[in-house]
Amino acid sequence: MNTEDTEDTEDDEVGGAAPGGAPGDDDGLLPQLVAHLREHRNRLRQEWVGRIHSAHLLQAMTSQEMAAETTSVYDNYVEVLETGSVEALQHYARDLSERIIPRGVETQEVVGIVLLLRDVLARSLFEKYQRDLPLLNRVLDAYEPAANRIANTVAVSFVDERERVIRQQQDSIRELSTPVLRVRERLLILPIIGVLDRERARQLTEQLLTGIRAHRAKVVVIDITGVPDVDEAVANHLVQTVDASRLMGASVIITGLSPEIAQTLVTIGVDLSRLETIGDLQGGLEEAERLLGFIVTRDSEAAGP
Amino acid sequence: MIAGPRLFSILRQGTCLIASIHTALDDSQLVRFQHDLIATIGRDRARGVVIDVAALDVLDSFATCTLRDIGNMARLRGAATVIVGIQPEVAIAMVRLGLSTGVVETALDLEEGLALLDGRTAGSPDGRR
Amino acid sequence: MPAPAPADSSPEPRGPLDVAALIPIVRRIVAARVPDRATADDLVQETLARVLAAVERIEPGMVEPYAIVTARNVVATMWRDQDRQRRHQHRVVDLRPPQLPDEDVLAQEDRAAMAEALTRLSERERSTLLAHEVSGQDTHSLAAELGSTAGAVAAQLNRTRARLRVEYLLAADRVEPSTPRCRPVLLALSSGDRRRQREVDAARHLLECELCARLSEPLMGRGRSRDDEVRVAVRADADVVAARQAARELAARLGFPPTDLTEIATAVSEVVRNIVRFADAGEVLVELLDSPRRGIRITARDSGPGIPDVQEALRDGYSTYRGLGLGLPGARRLMDEFAVASEPGRGTTVTMTKWREDR
Repeated sequence: MNTEDTEDTEDDEVGGAAPGGAPGDDDGLLPQLVAHLREHRNRLRQEWVGRIHSAHLLQAMTSQEMAAETTSVYDNYVEVLETGSVEALQHYARDLSERIIPRGVETQEVVGIVLLLRDVLARSLFEKYQRDLPLLNRVLDAYEPAANRIANTVAVSFVDERERVIRQQQDSIRELSTPVLRVRERLLILPIIGVLDRERARQLTEQLLTGIRAHRAKVVVIDITGVPDVDEAVANHLVQTVDASRLMGASVIITGLSPEIAQTLVTIGVDLSRLETIGDLQGGLEEAERLLGFIVTRDSEAAGP
Repeated sequence: MIAGPRLFSILRQGTCLIASIHTALDDSQLVRFQHDLIATIGRDRARGVVIDVAALDVLDSFATCTLRDIGNMARLRGAATVIVGIQPEVAIAMVRLGLSTGVVETALDLEEGLALLDGRTAGSPDGRR
Repeated sequence: MPAPAPADSSPEPRGPLDVAALIPIVRRIVAARVPDRATADDLVQETLARVLAAVERIEPGMVEPYAIVTARNVVATMWRDQDRQRRHQHRVVDLRPPQLPDEDVLAQEDRAAMAEALTRLSERERSTLLAHEVSGQDTHSLAAELGSTAGAVAAQLNRTRARLRVEYLLAADRVEPSTPRCRPVLLALSSGDRRRQREVDAARHLLECELCARLSEPLMGRGRSRDDEVRVAVRADADVVAARQAARELAARLGFPPTDLTEIATAVSEVVRNIVRFADAGEVLVELLDSPRRGIRITARDSGPGIPDVQEALRDGYSTYRGLGLGLPGARRLMDEFAVASEPGRGTTVTMTKWREDR
């Protein structure tokens, strides 16, 4: 408690000087505050870490990591109070989020630790200025908006980063969900599962065409049994995919288009004559084999004479 | 071609011609390609033509139209035409733009194109499909 | 060049010193070393000038040997200087005589034009600019004097400089803009403010106004980070290829996927072909966009006959040249946004944009 005592004497000096000043002295409050937080950086940070532990937050972190990260957060925090600019903190928060999101850290944990820091620091301000209530009020008036802004910045950065990570994961899942499968030499199957919007249709077409080139495919079976809603737009996407595949020298067979949906498409004017459709995947594969066999026989015949 | 790197080449292989475009051609160069190729088909009495467009990063309406014209003129001279080497991105752009090669057939690459022509010139006259 | 001056004026009063008699021998010495007649003449003059300047210090019988040595020295000096530093030759002999007076005149005209341009600024603009540029007063203290902020003063200074550049160009050329649109257009170009350039439709004006097209040349490079836009002048078939390659390269920098790059290049090919087919000249501007999203915008303009019926031209199958009639409607399908503005007799502007999908 020795240190506390010396602090108190300092406080008296500061506290004694401040109330006498004009209201304009409020401008000087934040620098004073920053100096205080810098001076007691170690003690306050440790107190904060203690609170984090007892609240069971950030348990995914080792104690070294905790020490390093809390020091950085603390310094960034004080810097925001000093400069009023949240930019550096924003960067750091995003960076931190990127590191801890893969380890399963949740939004409420991140918000939790920032709020804990806010409280630890506020408490230390209480202790420091408790003898002078008007000054304490003014100090808190200056501190609270800045502290809330910091908490907000960190939370928003974390949520942004989390969303970005989630989007990325969705994308990779999406890519995995539309594999181009090679059944046998020169024959590919593309089973489409899920909604086929414009962007997905385009991705699929790209994958299929690069697949055609890579596997030197001559026949492709596109199975759309798993597409819930085959409407005009989807049909037009399919027509384009078929046309593009043809330009690369591959024939396309569409399977899984039910007779009812085919009827509907014809009624609304979709030109199905450009699509070769066969009821089920099995039939489609047989037709594909036939096409390939036909081509192979013809080629070997041609080589004969 | 008076100077500079060759823009395209037309080589004879048996009864077929292999016409390769080596770089992006502008419209007047495409027209010259068409003239040279048609003239060569007539002179060599070729039965088939493979046009390799693998080097083209764009096949726009004029280029596609020129290729179709070549196909039609070649047919009038008794030669079948196959376009080979259309790249995936190019195929997508063509389709979205609304272009097709019409009655001119396409194949993946030179090898496929020659195989297709072999079948075509040796086998039944209307080929597959 | 102080030396030649006495050479011209001195011979008369100093005639009795036999300067004329020195000429043949000096000429012989110089001509033996310098084949070029004009240069030789100059060296002879230089030698005589030096002899005349020193004549009072030379004993009467020694003038001729002195002239011979001087002539050799003059030639040697010329060679040395030539070897050492070709562009300082004029210190001995000016081998490009007309240049200096010309430069002088140009510099004078330059100053006059700048002075004229300065008078065309408002009093406030002028005094602020001079205080900053000449007296070196910083924006903060200027702001304090003017009751403004440093940022506002800096912006004001930038506008003033932009105006000064325009007025200078006009004054140097001794022309007044032919239309009321010229000044705003030049100003927008000078300030490098692209939004303003779009507002005043600067690119179209440049196609139409010869004066501005010429005057704006030194202004075209202005503006921040122009590496995110490319202009391609369109006159011949080859420019179609150049334009689509430029668009592809720029779009690639924004990270468009390969399919998009090809679609962009194809769309550019279609619209630029129209310029070559239907108009004598045109221009394609390719720019990267930051807002509202990242994307690429292509603006293709020409000063051709215009399209009588734009709606009709956007219909599939509309074609007035050997083609599939898919040019404009096809390009529209490849891009996310597409607009055609055409005025019969004035020309056509096609603006198309593709946004970068955040996949």
